[in-house]
Amino acid sequence: MKSDTPMDDDEAIARSLDGDLTAYEALVARYSVLAHRTAAMLGAADEAEDVVQEAFVKAYRHLSSFRQGSPFRPWLLRIVANETHNLTRSRGRRTGLAVRLGAVTDPVAPDDPEGAAVAKDRRARLLEAVRALPDGERDAVVCRYFLQLSEAETAEVLGRPVGTVKSSTHRGLARLREEVGGELA
Amino acid sequence: MVSSREPHDDDRGGLGGLGDLEAELFALGDSLDVPAPPPADVAAAVRARLTTGIAPTTPAPTTPAPTTPATPAGRPLKRRRGRRWAVVAAVVLAVAALTAATPQGRAAVAQILRYAGIELRLGGAPVPVEPTPTSLPGERAVTLDQARATARFPVRTPGALGAPDAVTVSDGGRVVSMLWPGGLRLDQFDGTISPYLWKQLGPPFPEEVHAAGLDALWIGGAHPLGYIKREDGTSVPLRQAAPTLIWETGGVGHRLEGAGDKDRAARIAASLR
Repeated sequence: MKSDTPMDDDEAIARSLDGDLTAYEALVARYSVLAHRTAAMLGAADEAEDVVQEAFVKAYRHLSSFRQGSPFRPWLLRIVANETHNLTRSRGRRTGLAVRLGAVTDPVAPDDPEGAAVAKDRRARLLEAVRALPDGERDAVVCRYFLQLSEAETAEVLGRPVGTVKSSTHRGLARLREEVGGELA
Repeated sequence: MVSSREPHDDDRGGLGGLGDLEAELFALGDSLDVPAPPPADVAAAVRARLTTGIAPTTPAPTTPAPTTPATPAGRPLKRRRGRRWAVVAAVVLAVAALTAATPQGRAAVAQILRYAGIELRLGGAPVPVEPTPTSLPGERAVTLDQARATARFPVRTPGALGAPDAVTVSDGGRVVSMLWPGGLRLDQFDGTISPYLWKQLGPPFPEEVHAAGLDALWIGGAHPLGYIKREDGTSVPLRQAAPTLIWETGGVGHRLEGAGDKDRAARIAASLR
């Protein structure tokens, strides 16, 4: 597959609806990483790859129900979230945040190994605190901050009213502040 | 990943900007590793499933298996199989990828037609032949009377043929199949539910047949046949099918396979009572 000029989502979707699988491949490639992040962070764990493939296949099958001109990203991620939910429900448990801390040098303290270690420790504790949140709050926090979705997108992806997303996020943040916020400047 | 952080402004409390905790969460999210296969591999795997109905981990010699380095071999296959058979609420579908030469430039499906409960995907790369013929979900041998009692639609028989050698019911009564010697097979299925057969067809394209009050399509080449699962639209390959006539009458989809030529197929079809 190669594309000479990048297609925008709308064009790729329109062409996919006409049966152009190469256009759909471009969409898949474009959202693949985000879809994997979403699946992993919402609990698919090591089955994220399966979930993502199923989601893309399903999205293609249901593309005719996609409202053209509306944003593709939350529509797709909702399918990913639903597939993840089906998976976790079928195996009776969810794995929570299937992610690990990367070996990132904290930009705040590039020349300060001790500070970097402290920062890393803090990140680890914050991650643990996010993991420990109640499901609804964790999902909202994950979508808003780790996946960097807007409130409206988060509502669509999680299938909840915007007001619920707002309050879940708010409660989640409050809980996180309680857990790790003590040393925050 | 492209995203805007502006929408988060609505979260600012009295902090006069993004809260420290929120900024920290963004930074944490950015630092998290989530293993993901190369996007091009995912795209190829999805395409393979869409065009062939073959799950990428299913052995299929003619389909290059996408690499899924982070996944232990075997496990995903097991799960797909479980799903595949657990949920089959699908109607059958016959799909035809005519084995006729498909020009390189036609790798993409050009058009989708839905007809008599069958999805025809016109144009596209040749579909690999399913190496192992598979039965329809839940297919079992029954008598004609049992089939009539089980089916969700009125079952008819073609007067042009004698009594079938065998009758089967599949998928909880959604499909009734009758078999005669020589590979002649008539499938009748509930044509009112949404799943379809899919066929990926290169030239020659299906031919319309109008005869004896019958409107049908003739698929004149051998083609892979499979069904589409209702649950998620996954295409499950069954076997290589002979040329087939497809039509719909009164909400019942029909496919007649193995009749030889289209005239004979049309005669048999028109004799259904």
